[in-house]
Amino acid sequence: MSAIGQCLAAFIFGSVVGLLVQRSRFCNTAALRDAMLFKTYRNTKALLVCMMILTIGFTAFITVGEGHTMHFDVGVNQILGLFLFGIGMVLAGACTVSTWVKAGEGNVGAIWALLFTFVGMFLFSLVWSFIYWPPAPTTMDHQTHLAALQFGYANAATLQEKTGIPAIAFGIVQFVVLFAIYRAILRKEARMAEEREQAGVAAGVAGAPAGAAAAPRAD
Amino acid sequence: MELFKKTLDPVIALTIIAVLDIFLFLVVGAWTVGGGETMMTGLIAKGVMGDQLHRIPFWDVVFKPDPTYWKIYISLGMLFGSIVAAVMSKEFYWRVPRHLSEWVMITVGGLLMGIGIRLAFVCNVSTFFGLTPEMNLGGYLAISGIIAGAWVGSLIYKKVLEG
Repeated sequence: MSAIGQCLAAFIFGSVVGLLVQRSRFCNTAALRDAMLFKTYRNTKALLVCMMILTIGFTAFITVGEGHTMHFDVGVNQILGLFLFGIGMVLAGACTVSTWVKAGEGNVGAIWALLFTFVGMFLFSLVWSFIYWPPAPTTMDHQTHLAALQFGYANAATLQEKTGIPAIAFGIVQFVVLFAIYRAILRKEARMAEEREQAGVAAGVAGAPAGAAAAPRAD
Repeated sequence: MELFKKTLDPVIALTIIAVLDIFLFLVVGAWTVGGGETMMTGLIAKGVMGDQLHRIPFWDVVFKPDPTYWKIYISLGMLFGSIVAAVMSKEFYWRVPRHLSEWVMITVGGLLMGIGIRLAFVCNVSTFFGLTPEMNLGGYLAISGIIAGAWVGSLIYKKVLEG
């Protein structure tokens, strides 16, 4: 596909995503933060459903050698980088998607967060130019380099190549794990709703005499 | 139109996005945001610094500023789609953080997100909607990092909320 075709496909995809995320109020930050802080799972469930569909879709196409997978070595830098990112997104109250979506709603705080994300990237480019770590993708050879804290490259395609088992089989295993987490959340929500209901009934029973006593006075 | 009158269930929204992401994966690559943002940073820096930018090796070795980099247009598309949705549903209005503490948290948060994305080579979107569904080892490493980070961030956030 030509560069213009790629840009057009990306823009159309992004536009639909922007529209759907704005209308659904989905937020990746809330998917993690709300589950940890407030024990609410509205966004977490949506995130899990999306990951389940993607796992089956991607691994099915990887099985037949289709699709554009990401190609670069991974290592400790992914853990450290996303650790910093995780703190940052909760403090900023928005992740990479919601900064753009909230900016589109006129949220000046999101525009500010976006601006400083760019500043952070530029600052890191200055540091990288001294330390050259993590290694540039052009120098990666998909092998393990523990001195550089790099573990090489592995995904569903390499699993299929090494084991001879179709990638979709591994995808189904991941799907089952994600589904088990999803079911656990549903069960937890049902339990919490039941507890709330019981607490409501108990409060109603306790409040009934006072209400009954108050009624004649009101008359 | 009903879509612009009430809030859409996020499960429905993310299901549609997942199907579209599979198409994008087949055509050009899975949904990602951090790469496009980095390229925008490079293009802005080049606009400000001109050829001086090439004195910083990162912008020659890792990300050569290129306006035809497709990932940029995902972000611009999200902005466009969000503006359309907000205007159509009459939800567009300027919201400005009121407290200094909010500005400080947003500034620090933005900086950490930018540094984190470049350190990891990935953002939250490519972690959850790209690498992990591809069963890339990096996805699992990134998820462990982001969960730990979100937990620490939540503790800080709670402290600030409690004043």
